[in-house]
Amino acid sequence: MKNLLIKELRLAASPLSYIFLSASLMTFLPGYPILMSAFFICLGIFQSFQSAREANDIQYSVLLPVAKRDVVRAKYLFVCLIELCGFCLCGAFTALRMTLLGNAAPYVTNALMNANPVYLAFVLLIFASFNFLFVGGFFKTGYKFALPFVSFGAATLILVALAETLRHIPALAFLHTPSGERLGLQFAALGGAAAIYAAVTFLSCRRSERRFEKLDL
Amino acid sequence: MPILEVVSLRKVYPRFTLDSVSFTLEKGRIMGLIGRNGAGKTTTLKSIFDVVHPDGGSVRLLGMDMPENEREIKRRIGYAGGGVDWYMRSPIRKIARVTSAFYPNWDESEYNKYLSAFSLDESKSPRELSEGMKVKFSLTLALSHRAELLILDEPTSGLDPVSRAELLDVFRFLRDKGVAILFSTHITTDLEKCADDITYIANGRIVASGPLDAFLAKSKDEGRGESLEDIMVSYEKESLYEKLAD
Repeated sequence: MKNLLIKELRLAASPLSYIFLSASLMTFLPGYPILMSAFFICLGIFQSFQSAREANDIQYSVLLPVAKRDVVRAKYLFVCLIELCGFCLCGAFTALRMTLLGNAAPYVTNALMNANPVYLAFVLLIFASFNFLFVGGFFKTGYKFALPFVSFGAATLILVALAETLRHIPALAFLHTPSGERLGLQFAALGGAAAIYAAVTFLSCRRSERRFEKLDL
Repeated sequence: MPILEVVSLRKVYPRFTLDSVSFTLEKGRIMGLIGRNGAGKTTTLKSIFDVVHPDGGSVRLLGMDMPENEREIKRRIGYAGGGVDWYMRSPIRKIARVTSAFYPNWDESEYNKYLSAFSLDESKSPRELSEGMKVKFSLTLALSHRAELLILDEPTSGLDPVSRAELLDVFRFLRDKGVAILFSTHITTDLEKCADDITYIANGRIVASGPLDAFLAKSKDEGRGESLEDIMVSYEKESLYEKLAD
């Protein structure tokens, strides 16, 4: 698995997957739907799938002395690694926004979603939808990814819309508090999202392994 | 013990069926898999390597069942669909470095030996290599992990006569080292120059499989011609002239 992951990082990955991690800086943007940072990080990962397909990576990989299911697992591992990096960056920037920059005027009057643990929870939900809809969809055929990406794009729009509107329901106002208040609830939401992310990614990987095993390449 | 044993291999597609394909290949022999375009050569090779899943039959490589022993088998054999058609823009040095990590028996001195013998420039990417050089790079990767069996799909197609002659030289050298080679082709003259055995497939079925000399002698006795080309034409040619004239 280690060698397959190195293959993903050195041969298959597009530099854009790494460059697009900088989209996590969107966490600092006031008056902007900052959840789009997660979308752009996934867009960077999508570029790796595109360049890997152009390079016939799947064909190369299945000829290596590895089990086919390991080819799938390595792809998921690569995706999760980039997502983890993106999540950590978003987390660090969120912490900055909530502490050192907590009283900055643009953030105090911010009309759109604030950076807080709930924002990070939605980042994880967007990553989970990418793993389920895009990566899982890709492994139906091993080469088609247009429909999976459109599905993921639609899911992202719904999640961003939910994140931006749910807090207007009085009982859910805690979703928006920028610093310190209702932190327990916000972290509970983050924990729940992390569990969903882990479960969805695991199930998607298992399903992709089964599908990929049956494919004639 | 045969190094490759294919028994009643069957693969069904909506418009094509590979049916009851059986043959064996011994260590240190070269077998040509011949047949016209669309006869089922590539399907056979891909089925052997489990890249496509057979609907029936069995494949034993190095005495082990495929796909149960997939990893061990793949470590000890080399498969190439002709030349290299992946990572066309990556330097071959980088491809080789990544590939070598997968093979515990990778031999760097063998790699350098073949690199030098084939005049391969490691700084070039596959897209900068001629078709002949791509096949040589593919062989270099396989031989550097001391593959005991090479399975090659149309390795001589698209090569100029000199490159083909050089490649056949390489095949003969490898055979003398004990490597078994199974390669598909429809260029029959290549086989006459280097193959010990042939397996002839037509419309997804085996026409003949065995020593080349015996096949040539039998076909001559049957009046099908003396060369493989004449024999293939005798078996398969349709009279398109009459069809078109109707």
